[in-house]
Amino acid sequence: MTEFSHQLKEALSLVQKPGRYTGGEPGCTYKDKSKVDVRMAFCFPDTYEVGMSFLGEKILYELLNRHENWWCERAFMPWVDMKEQMERLNIPLYCLESKDPLSDFDIVGFTLEYELCYTNILAMLRMSGIPLRAADRDESWPLVIAGGPCVCNAEPMADFFDIMQLGEGEQMLQDVCAAMEYAKKNGLNKEQLLLNLAKIPGLYVPSFYDVTYEEDGRIRSIKPNRPGVPEKVTKAIVKDMDSFPPPENFVVPIVGAIQDRASVEVLRGCVRGCRFCQAGQIYRPFRERSPKLISDCARILCRNTGYDELSLTSLSTSDHSRLEEILDNLNSWAEADHVSLSLPSLRVDNFSESLVEKTTRVRKSGLTFAAEAGTQRLRDVINKNVTWDQIERGCRIAFREGYTSVKLYFMMGLPTETMEDIKGIADTAQQVVDLFYKIPDRPKGKGVQVTISVACFVPKPDTPFQFCAQDTREQLREKQKYLLSCVHSRKIKVNYHDSATSVLEGIFAKGDRRLGKVIETAFNHGAFFDTWEEYFDYDRWLQAFAECGIDPNFYNYRTLALDEVTPWSHLDVGVSQAFLAREYQKALRAETTQPCNRQCSGCGANKLLGGPCFAYDQNQL
Amino acid sequence: MLTIRISFEKRAEAAYISLLDLQRVFQRILKRSGLPVYYTQGFNPHIYLSFASPLSLGQESLCESCEIKTAEENPDLASWKETLQPYMPKGIVIRSVAPAQEKSSEIGFADYTITLPLSAEDALIAYNESETAMVSKKTKRGSHEVDLKNYIPRLEYTKEGDGLSFSVRMPCASGEGVNLNPSLLLAHLQQTHAIPPWQCEVLRTQLYTKNGAIFC
Repeated sequence: MTEFSHQLKEALSLVQKPGRYTGGEPGCTYKDKSKVDVRMAFCFPDTYEVGMSFLGEKILYELLNRHENWWCERAFMPWVDMKEQMERLNIPLYCLESKDPLSDFDIVGFTLEYELCYTNILAMLRMSGIPLRAADRDESWPLVIAGGPCVCNAEPMADFFDIMQLGEGEQMLQDVCAAMEYAKKNGLNKEQLLLNLAKIPGLYVPSFYDVTYEEDGRIRSIKPNRPGVPEKVTKAIVKDMDSFPPPENFVVPIVGAIQDRASVEVLRGCVRGCRFCQAGQIYRPFRERSPKLISDCARILCRNTGYDELSLTSLSTSDHSRLEEILDNLNSWAEADHVSLSLPSLRVDNFSESLVEKTTRVRKSGLTFAAEAGTQRLRDVINKNVTWDQIERGCRIAFREGYTSVKLYFMMGLPTETMEDIKGIADTAQQVVDLFYKIPDRPKGKGVQVTISVACFVPKPDTPFQFCAQDTREQLREKQKYLLSCVHSRKIKVNYHDSATSVLEGIFAKGDRRLGKVIETAFNHGAFFDTWEEYFDYDRWLQAFAECGIDPNFYNYRTLALDEVTPWSHLDVGVSQAFLAREYQKALRAETTQPCNRQCSGCGANKLLGGPCFAYDQNQL
Repeated sequence: MLTIRISFEKRAEAAYISLLDLQRVFQRILKRSGLPVYYTQGFNPHIYLSFASPLSLGQESLCESCEIKTAEENPDLASWKETLQPYMPKGIVIRSVAPAQEKSSEIGFADYTITLPLSAEDALIAYNESETAMVSKKTKRGSHEVDLKNYIPRLEYTKEGDGLSFSVRMPCASGEGVNLNPSLLLAHLQQTHAIPPWQCEVLRTQLYTKNGAIFC
């Protein structure tokens, strides 16, 4: 075992699932480090199992490593036992391929997938010996960068990153590596490098912007503090999804990842415009890949990885205008190649028998429908354009096809919600149970199991509900209690969780730069793995807020004025503030908005494409 | 249909792949290789494969083996090694792919090279001097006491650099018959003497049949 130091071997002999920390999986890239110009550590601030399920990393890992003179490697947050051993034995956090510490790299990049992983980012930097704050790092340290959906409100983490990528990384991250290569070859200092980086579309350099505040704590302005830096950073996108084919190879995890299968992204963006959904807004505009490219790349991917399960991913796969064609293409080779298909994120309103038949040739698992709210009124408020008739139709097909378990997703704490709407959740589930027993050709000998999973709604930036205050923990607890009292059948199972993590998520989602010190304080008091219930300590967070003299309620329990300067007002994801305000007012009147492939609602994201998103005159749907 | 055996080394990174994970790795690699392997004919067809006497996590080996069946009666095995090797995880090196001569139930013994820190010398001397070396062996039917001295009367070690090393032959039978894992011997040495477990390295060097012929 030449590559493993004695310390590392000792650590590995003492932890659970050491295979998570060794690298060497099929498909991973090794290069001669003396022959590469740019080394990037792609860091996922959660465990190996979670991070290896993440498609974004696989896309970027392949794109960067195609450059012969760049080497992109992977690092994950070690689980608690490994972290302890590494700290005891003075092993700095290392990348799995070379086993070199993160501080040896030119670029250390983190993906910001969800707010509660922020402390893990600090933990990973600390484990590498890299100073946490960007201001404390000169050019002798790696450039610490971030990407991912949470960059749309980057501010709570702004102090820790040199640059943050707003939008899609395919081109942007390659531009960053090229700028790094240029800076190294020409001996640029950090300021010069950052000035070059600030010119790349979508790149945000937090230290180049000054924030001023009103006396009551709201933001007065966010302004660039150097010439040549844009007033607003505009999100980068891939205009033509066919110009960046999906990855043809994955690093195939040996120790099981959560999503351990081949996956191909069939489209990006979403036409639906659900008002609570951040992804539906920030990934606009809607762009599709062509069926042949999807099928060809999927086949190569399955052959290269050996996966026997293929998943078609996107925010809403069944909204692909040529889905049946994709499935026919895939089914022409899938069986012969021993590959089975699965379609996540199916929608009840266009769930059809032929779709079920084309995707479940091999296995029948449970079905999941997202109804989101219990009454039609509230579904109209959130613009989830799903009716009971559609849910009924979807369940009827599913039961006939042999499914006996249905999972329904709901949220509570939505704007304008009343106890009537909460009761509606239980009523909907009961109606599904009753429906099962009314169907004459239902699966025999089996009962039905309806699971309702109720999440706590968190208002997110860049959505029409960004203006709303979040429900308090007391309100949510009361609603949870009431929901349980409304469920009368043993066929119905209710899942919900404590609202403390949702509250914190709400604070960071809409937070500003001042929260950086709160995150650092909580981290110094031992906060990390906040996404893992057993390590989340709400009181520790409250203490951190108190020590920093910051009122957390200011961020999530306050209604924003429609013209308020938000902490993310200088980060332009495409949808305009005016559109969000318009949608918010429509929501309060329970008025719905058409999906954008039927009628353009003027959100503004089409400016990223430079033209209309759909050829409406061709009457696509 | 022909039963063939893939013999391989499992070292470094690969030493940390558990049997369960290794099975999945081989499933995928055989599938992606496109080689004509036999799939089970059930509702969820999968590649039939079986590993002979798999190692404990963290131990290394020069002589692991995996038995599979081919779809054809007389496949050309010449190219299999080169086809499979590039897909393997780091640390797995294929030594040969050939028709299986004996069943894996014929395995009877294994040779191991064990490396210990210099500080373990007292433990080895004590072992050689003692009459018995009782260890408790856990099986599915509960645990029972085994005297290691019956199988390993003496440990003939040599000093090399900052470590001690010795080779030892141990019974290694699947199913019927005695099976002893080198970690039992290490546990026994650690019972009486403090030897840090992570400084103990186990390398399996050879497998033998019950008759003493080389298995792989």
